[in-house]
Amino acid sequence: MPLVRTFCSRSLNAVGMVLILGSIMIATDNCSKQQAPEQSPRDLVPDESLGWTLQDSTETYDREGIFDYIDGAGEVYRAYGFAGVTVFRYDRVGEGGIIVEIFDMGSPADAYGVFSYSREEETSGIGQAYEFAGSLLHFWKDRFYVCVRAEQPGELAREAVVAIAKSIDGKITAEGGKPALVGMLPQEGLVPHSETYFHTHPVLNNRYFVSTENILNLGAGTNAVLARYSPGRVYLLCIEYKNAQEAEAARQQFVARYIPEARDSGAAQTENGLWVAVVTQRQYLGIVFDAPDYERAVQLADALKGKV
Amino acid sequence: MKQDSFSDQLAEPEIHRLTRRDFMKGLGAVAVGCSVTLPLLSEVLLADEQQSRVVLIRDADVVGRDGKINAAVVQRMLDQAVTALLENADPVACWKRLVKPDDVVGIKSNEWDRLPTPPEVERALKQRVMDAGVPERNIGIDDRGVLGHPVFRKCTALINVRPMRTHAWSAAGSLIKNYIMFVPQPEDYHDDNCAPLGAIWHLPHVKGKTRLNVLVMLTPLFYGVGPHHFDKTFVWNYNSLLVGTDPVAVDSIGISIFEARRKAYFGEERPLRASAHHITLADKKYHLGTSDLSKIQLIKLGWKEGVLI
Repeated sequence: MPLVRTFCSRSLNAVGMVLILGSIMIATDNCSKQQAPEQSPRDLVPDESLGWTLQDSTETYDREGIFDYIDGAGEVYRAYGFAGVTVFRYDRVGEGGIIVEIFDMGSPADAYGVFSYSREEETSGIGQAYEFAGSLLHFWKDRFYVCVRAEQPGELAREAVVAIAKSIDGKITAEGGKPALVGMLPQEGLVPHSETYFHTHPVLNNRYFVSTENILNLGAGTNAVLARYSPGRVYLLCIEYKNAQEAEAARQQFVARYIPEARDSGAAQTENGLWVAVVTQRQYLGIVFDAPDYERAVQLADALKGKV
Repeated sequence: MKQDSFSDQLAEPEIHRLTRRDFMKGLGAVAVGCSVTLPLLSEVLLADEQQSRVVLIRDADVVGRDGKINAAVVQRMLDQAVTALLENADPVACWKRLVKPDDVVGIKSNEWDRLPTPPEVERALKQRVMDAGVPERNIGIDDRGVLGHPVFRKCTALINVRPMRTHAWSAAGSLIKNYIMFVPQPEDYHDDNCAPLGAIWHLPHVKGKTRLNVLVMLTPLFYGVGPHHFDKTFVWNYNSLLVGTDPVAVDSIGISIFEARRKAYFGEERPLRASAHHITLADKKYHLGTSDLSKIQLIKLGWKEGVLI
């Protein structure tokens, strides 16, 4: 039985809160296809694969301890309903190690979210979607975001990475749907796999810097998706608030701070010559950035309005 | 004792609330990502003191086929860069302008295990600091231990050196970011993709001490996926050092090289996924230098093949 080293003594309450939050998110998103049974990460990993053997050096990190493991990039996971990560190591004589990280993201929506944050391409066949970039294969399934990485690139290691990933995939018995918000994006012109699902202002700024201030009132209680459209590099942001009043308040604040000249029209040309448009529909707020002209900005905003 | 975020002390409402549009007005190319425009770079020697000078030096022989770094070549590159930067043919004379014999010098390095500052670069810097007359006992090299390091605790001058890499949260492991170890709680500066990092440079034990910035781009990481954001697949031998006294300008050139490398590697525009606005804010909010590429005088020396910029 692998020895488990934990770094979570300071934050059991925080983890508990996150798990509760995650449960709420699952319920409100209404996107879980199957009831997820409780599965321990250890139950998901194989003991051996193509000569690589699981080592007794398993580590776990919670929301507070994540910085001990990945420094500042831990903020990526903390921006979602991250509950903890378990890290496994496989070794084979004469070869580099293979590292497996199983992130419990608390809900399928946030497992998809952190995958969408990380991936630039995606393929079906492992988990609910995966990407194999360089020496790292990462995928999401149910509430888990899984990374399998070879320390030394090589064909054999690559085969082992795939085999381990498929094994884990097979042992995660449940699936969860993508957040409903992602399905509301207009499809015409949507750049494949450009969607990033998130909740907070720092993640929006990470993908598309808007303001040093949280002028859209984003937070753990908001769901958002940012996607890119072609031709050009047009961005569409869609945010779901708790109610229509919150959406309207955010719209008014955005217009006042970002495009005050669009107070009446809802659209404005910015200093880069491109256009911004903003719309609301019930609890949803949509913003188009960097449209090449007024017509495209309004057309995309209206297309979103018709979908939500 | 926990140190307060310095940003609270910089509460100037008119500059505190910066939006993308403010960056557009100020040509903050780094923050607006794909609009980085390489042709704006000034490559002509101008006597315009408003420009920040950055020296990009490359040498085909600095990284061997076995990945080992040639210390003698590093020393030569550093000397060439500093002499070009300060317009004096004698490297030791240049270093005597940067540090005085009675300075206590901290060389702020970076020990991230996957891509640390090469010891050859650290030694080359230390050698020239000693050549400038600073006793070895008054020179320290450290990263995560700087707050407790006896030399850093009393240092009067800093040399900032680190390898450049992409980063999942801050977009880049930059010179600006390298000073995060000068605060006891680095995570306090993670907010908004490390946007407040520039405030660290204004803390009393840091402010005004940096004499030189060296962005190591011998084997930079231009792309990453996953939590550790490191993969040898996406490291390339660029064989370069970027040297300057303006950390924002040096970082901005580094970002431009990354954008160019990604385009060349992927065969299409592939801007950094994350926004590097901590670099633009280091300019617009914290006034540590310029991120405006049109105000950067780039001096390119050495190996030209694959220079990208």
